[in-house]
Amino acid sequence: MPELECPVCGGRLQIPEDSLPGELFEHQDCGANLEYFQDEKGRPALKVAEEVAEDWGQ
Amino acid sequence: MIVVKAGGRVLETNMRNILDSVAKRRDGGVVFVHGGGDIVSKYEKMLGIEPKIVTSPSGIRSRLTDERELEVYNMVMAGKLGKEMSAYLNHRGVKAVSLSGVDSALIRATRKKRIVIVDERGRKRAIDGGYTGTISAVDTSIITNLTEMGYVIVVSPVALGDEGEMLNVDGDTAASAIASALKAEKLILLTDVEGVLLDGRLVESLTVGQAQQLLEQIGAGMNRKLMAAAKAVENGVVKAYICSGMGEDPLKRVEGGKATIITGL
Repeated sequence: MPELECPVCGGRLQIPEDSLPGELFEHQDCGANLEYFQDEKGRPALKVAEEVAEDWGQ
Repeated sequence: MIVVKAGGRVLETNMRNILDSVAKRRDGGVVFVHGGGDIVSKYEKMLGIEPKIVTSPSGIRSRLTDERELEVYNMVMAGKLGKEMSAYLNHRGVKAVSLSGVDSALIRATRKKRIVIVDERGRKRAIDGGYTGTISAVDTSIITNLTEMGYVIVVSPVALGDEGEMLNVDGDTAASAIASALKAEKLILLTDVEGVLLDGRLVESLTVGQAQQLLEQIGAGMNRKLMAAAKAVENGVVKAYICSGMGEDPLKRVEGGKATIITGL
């Protein structure tokens, strides 16, 4: 299970092997909502999740 | 003024009776909002597009609308269904106008560029949102003017986006927003069941607070209706009703109390 750095508190966060870009995680230590992504070199990383709302289409 | 919304499933089987029932109650002004998600899906499949339905973390199911799907959505909603309803009513001698939310900027919405879904593995994920919108404003002037002229107004749930784009908005939410802006006497959501059912039994009345508490206990589809109904009452609509759109005169159920009624108290 990969362990990534939390961009908010600098702590470590384990995420599942099969995580997909866009997947959302809450860092239990600091409460930050984080989004999994791959950087320009394809390395896994976390960023602060944007405030996104739920879908409300027909 | 009353605002009535009917979903695609009841419209497919009972459109004429629903429209006749709406037309009978046009004296004080009536706005009819139609759904039709299933009919959009049918046409998408005919055009070789596989509909993508996603579920939000709170259990709301909705269509993920990309650019091609938006074209089909607009064609079916505003081009086919709205005009078929207008044709039926006008042919029956009922003065009716079919509008979509983009006409006269009746419904404005903000496009959701990203949305949160629960994916097939049950995990939360942010994805590109496509062309769905959150309703931001309703301009009722065209409704007021046309109602004063004696027209029944048929509204297709398409909204005008901030950049002039057309957006897919949920029909229940659109009806709720229109009813709220009009401070309507009644919002009536017609569906294919008797109302809100709990353990198989009809819930006859709910306050806004009770409705909000019940949301997690009821199924996808109905939770959205209940949310829309509660929101309308919270915004000044006198009463909201969820009831069956089946039978000869479906709106009679509202008068006979055979519905789930949502009130402010």
